[in-house]
Amino acid sequence: MQLHVSPATGVPLYLQIESQLKHAIAAGALKQGDTLPSVRKLAADLRINPNTVARAYQNLERDGVIRTVPGGGTFVADNVPGLLKSEKLKRLKPFALQLAVEGTQLRLSRDEILKQVHVALDELGERS
Amino acid sequence: MSEFAILTDGLMKHYSETRAVDGLHLHVPRGSLYGFLGRNGAGKTTTIRTLMGLLRPTGGSARMLDMRVPEEQIAILQRTAYVSEKKTLPSSMTGAQLVRFNRPYYRSWSDASAAKCAQRLEIPMDQQFKRLSLGNRTKLCLLMALAQGAELLILDEPTLGLDPVIMDELLKLLIEDYAVEGRTVFLSSHRLAEVERVADWVGIIDHGKLLLEARLDDIRTEYCRINASGNALPVNIGPQILSAVFSGSLCEYVVRNDADNFVAELRSQGATILDVSPLNLGEVFLLLVRKEEPCTSGNVGATPAALSPST
Repeated sequence: MQLHVSPATGVPLYLQIESQLKHAIAAGALKQGDTLPSVRKLAADLRINPNTVARAYQNLERDGVIRTVPGGGTFVADNVPGLLKSEKLKRLKPFALQLAVEGTQLRLSRDEILKQVHVALDELGERS
Repeated sequence: MSEFAILTDGLMKHYSETRAVDGLHLHVPRGSLYGFLGRNGAGKTTTIRTLMGLLRPTGGSARMLDMRVPEEQIAILQRTAYVSEKKTLPSSMTGAQLVRFNRPYYRSWSDASAAKCAQRLEIPMDQQFKRLSLGNRTKLCLLMALAQGAELLILDEPTLGLDPVIMDELLKLLIEDYAVEGRTVFLSSHRLAEVERVADWVGIIDHGKLLLEARLDDIRTEYCRINASGNALPVNIGPQILSAVFSGSLCEYVVRNDADNFVAELRSQGATILDVSPLNLGEVFLLLVRKEEPCTSGNVGATPAALSPST
């Protein structure tokens, strides 16, 4: 599992790390219980500030995506993410809204927009 | 113990007519890797030389590691390592000789760190300093500073003459030996791409004053470029809308804070949003520094499209 960050895009680096790890977990490249590199190692490997890595890990831990054992490393959490269904849906809603708005403005039909979601899910390998 | 490794309060250094440093308020958090950015002549080196006790401030005050500049300079120097803009060392000594010469001056000196640095940065340690290339001189100065094991590392243009491979190794060294150890690095540079990668705080200085000081990730979240098309797009440039460049029915906005609200407002007026993207450090730098020049008016962010109608 290799992460890449690109400062030139202007997207905060901690968000880039968060989304890549979430993506890897959703796609099955990382599985429950897999070990993640330590903050120090990931910072040195990516040549980025350790505070940035720590911020990403803290956010992921708060979201229940990873868990940290004091002195024992960082792991992909079991039952990712441990949230109530309603909470999961609430988090997804802004993305759905964005998709709907952009799709409508591009004059795409409802079916064409929905098809894109299906295609994206297929590409992830339909882990459900 | 204060939370700041470097703190200045209205620091000033004037040379007869020139106000090289003009009321500077720096807040460098302990444990940060702080990028101090500015154009040539913006006041970076004067600030650093004043902090190091090489220049006497005209006004204001500064503290490093909670000690007063310049009254407690000796104690400050014991705990601070410095690479100056000139990159000079005694010219007839070799790297190995300089290591032996510098070692007894510092309680926290580490031969292991010197050896690691020499190996990683590929420094020829048995050549006289005067026979080294510019890049190798820079590297040897860096080695002397890194091996001191200081709590605070001050680097004035540390990337001068370094090739991309060595540059990469230097960033790795700074992260491994400084950032993850909770020590503070304060570096001035023009190389925004490198700073953008490793720094977590930046300060942008121009004409001796600080234009911006913030956590780098907050800067990335704060500044946004929005491309929109539509009729009667708003043109009022204010504190939130930093620039609006029109070409036909298209407009490129640069906004600060609350881009989401501005996008929603544009949409409610029937505009189509083509693209919303964050600004990188280089773009924010140009935006802030160009704003200081009187003649550029609204054309900040100078994209080719923005320049073409007027020229």
